[in-house]
Amino acid sequence: MPDFNVRSDSVNVEQIMEQIRGRIREKRGVDYTEQQIRELAAVKLEKFLDPRGVRSDLLDQFRKAQPAYEPPELPNFAFEDATLFESHRAPIRWIRKLLMPLLKLLFNPNPLIQALNIQSRLNTINAERDARREAARRQMDQLYYELVHNLVVETTRTGIEVKNLKMRVESIASRLEFNERRARALEGAVVYRSTEPDEPRPQRPAPQIPQPRQQPPPRPQQQQQPRYTPPQPSYTAPVPVAPPTQTAIAPPAAVTEPPPQAQGAGVPGEGPGQRSRRRRRRRGRRGGGAAATIMGAPGSAQPGSTGAAGTVESVDQMDAIDRMDDDGSPDSEEMHDAAAEQVEQTGIAEADHAASTAEPPAVDQAPVEHAHVEQPRVELVAPLPAAPSATESSSVAPAEPAAAPPPARDPADHDPQ
Amino acid sequence: MKIAVVVQRYGQAINGGAELHARYIAEHLARHGQVEVLTTCSTDYVTWRNELEPGVEQVNGVPVRRFKVKHERDPLVFGKRSDRVFEQLHSLGDELDWLDAEGPTSPALIDYITKHASDYDYCLFFSYRYYHAYYGARASRGRAILVPTAERDETIGLSIFQPLFRGVRAIMYNSPEERAMIHAVAGNESVPGVVVGIGSDVPNNPQAARFRQKYNIRGPFAVYVGRIDQNKGCKELFEFFDGYLKDPAGKLSLVLIGNTLLPIPEHKRIRHLGFLDDTDKFEAMAAADALIMPSYYESLSMVALEAWALGRPVLANGKCDVLKGQCLRSNAGLFYETLGEFIGTLEAIEQNRWLAGSLGRNGRQYFKDNYDWPVIERKYLDMFERLKNEVPGPGGDPLPGWFDRRRQDLPAAQDVLAKLPKGPAGRHG
Repeated sequence: MPDFNVRSDSVNVEQIMEQIRGRIREKRGVDYTEQQIRELAAVKLEKFLDPRGVRSDLLDQFRKAQPAYEPPELPNFAFEDATLFESHRAPIRWIRKLLMPLLKLLFNPNPLIQALNIQSRLNTINAERDARREAARRQMDQLYYELVHNLVVETTRTGIEVKNLKMRVESIASRLEFNERRARALEGAVVYRSTEPDEPRPQRPAPQIPQPRQQPPPRPQQQQQPRYTPPQPSYTAPVPVAPPTQTAIAPPAAVTEPPPQAQGAGVPGEGPGQRSRRRRRRRGRRGGGAAATIMGAPGSAQPGSTGAAGTVESVDQMDAIDRMDDDGSPDSEEMHDAAAEQVEQTGIAEADHAASTAEPPAVDQAPVEHAHVEQPRVELVAPLPAAPSATESSSVAPAEPAAAPPPARDPADHDPQ
Repeated sequence: MKIAVVVQRYGQAINGGAELHARYIAEHLARHGQVEVLTTCSTDYVTWRNELEPGVEQVNGVPVRRFKVKHERDPLVFGKRSDRVFEQLHSLGDELDWLDAEGPTSPALIDYITKHASDYDYCLFFSYRYYHAYYGARASRGRAILVPTAERDETIGLSIFQPLFRGVRAIMYNSPEERAMIHAVAGNESVPGVVVGIGSDVPNNPQAARFRQKYNIRGPFAVYVGRIDQNKGCKELFEFFDGYLKDPAGKLSLVLIGNTLLPIPEHKRIRHLGFLDDTDKFEAMAAADALIMPSYYESLSMVALEAWALGRPVLANGKCDVLKGQCLRSNAGLFYETLGEFIGTLEAIEQNRWLAGSLGRNGRQYFKDNYDWPVIERKYLDMFERLKNEVPGPGGDPLPGWFDRRRQDLPAAQDVLAKLPKGPAGRHG
């Protein structure tokens, strides 16, 4: 959690803790303590579970409904061999004992005594066993209810977790969708230009030898300008082959009547409706690679070609924008759209540039060409209306170091320190 | 000025919080007056067995007078009486029986105070919860100054201590939270009191690299210093740190210093070094990225203060009011209550060097402003000066009579504790 919005030496622990808790909530949803989960399970269970199926106060109800168990005192008797002849009066006991042989003459009492003795013992054993069983059953009941109660708590916890995970999945899905859209826009932008090689293009001031892989990314404020429209004064010389720093190669028709495609792609007078329609078109397109394959665009995805290089560079820029997302802060759709638009424009411009290099080569003038190799970006940004001085410097004095774009600021650099 | 420091046990090798506190205070006040320590012959706080000879000896230049303990603690009896007074309706007699069972019961020490109290200007009693403080404060007849070292546990809910808090001349609190708690339980706002705490002799230039080399510790680490015990929150610390280890972003190891009563989890990023001397301990804290203090119950936490003195941030258990309050007041530490907060705060300290550095700097300043020895000594001397100009009170309520001791009308201590206000005392105490 390296990025705190604390920018002064006076640390406020309360604020930092709030930020940390906010981050935790963002990452993991609400972080409930054990006690809170129990409270939720006991009180607000109906919000997470079907209240008809489970009762949140099961254990309490059970304890109220179940009084403490005491085994009942079952009636029983003790029967030993002398039980029949016992008496608390000693003379009677003596008489009975005296008459015992006479009794045994009449019948044998021993089986009767044994049977009653066994029955008495059986009664005792059964009573004890029943008491044990009952106690065990009640203990098991207690355990079952404990189990059910714990299940309720765990189900509540799981419900909360599922809710949090759903939120995360939604968040990730929306990000994925956005990234896919952005990737399609990028790929489509490159392919879009390369699939129309025969269409006339707006004239450029000076086609240069492109060095796309060595070029730093364009300045953001320049990317936000409408797409390149050649300045009128430079169209006056429809020379098929021209020095790269002086005039551009373009058919005269392109000068006087730019193709609708080029106009729609970002002329300065473009309205907001056109722009949004174009965006919708891009979003609607499928992957650019597949389109290129189907359409068989010449040089559209050739390895090492300018278009491919432009794509690589654009992807790098998109990665840089991706890194902006990595801070976990909520994204602004408009910001990303604008950034994607910039990158796309750059890609289109580079694709245009690549296409222009396929045209008849300009007459090389060694020192000038060398200067353009060192300042390749000048050509791309020079015609933009927002940078007239750069235009002048590139067309008149292309080796001017002031025309080189400053190193782009890393958008991922969010460290407050 | 002659001062008696009365404490349950005393010695160079005794490292318990209140006892160490008493020794530091005695040694520093000895520079400003005549100090004598009155204590028992015990060294073990569980048995209170007489292990040292009674009589007078010198410890770091301070005379120490020891008295025999009448009987050792019987853990069974003490446990039974604790259950009684902490959990059930009971009487004053039950609480006095509990106090006697807790120990160290030393009537000889109380007799000495009764006879010689007039020899001292003030008697400083450390730890309100023991026999010597309850009876000794009465025996000292208006000369008693209490250093309660009270924690938020059930003992504070016992009724016998409320007159003690109201009857002493002054109270030297360790933290604003402790003061608020004692005020709430005893209603003793009229008793002069000041939040003082304790200083520490932290070395100026601890050799962090030497510690790393000696114990072969590489990479960033957080350190815990103290007894490794469930009561100190170490079990929860192990659980939370296990959760932190599962986070791939975290790179900190955990170094544990102190004797252990718990099994240490086996993991290559958890090291237990055992008990270390002060030099190694301070070097370990200086080498660490942060100190973790997971204890639920602290009246001050000297270790946290030492970490701050060394410019290290502290990650404390937010369930301990005192630690949380210290972190908020100092702006020098973060705190956690859940696993998520533990991981979040630890990663914040680990990954944001600016934050860790700022917390450490704040901690150093906080220690310097509040816990440096000149500040501590000045607070004690100012209190002595203040009391000199005040008329001593009656010295507390009389001991309860026969009927009062047997009336079963005192609530369970845990119920009293539950009603006390919670939370840190605020930024300015």
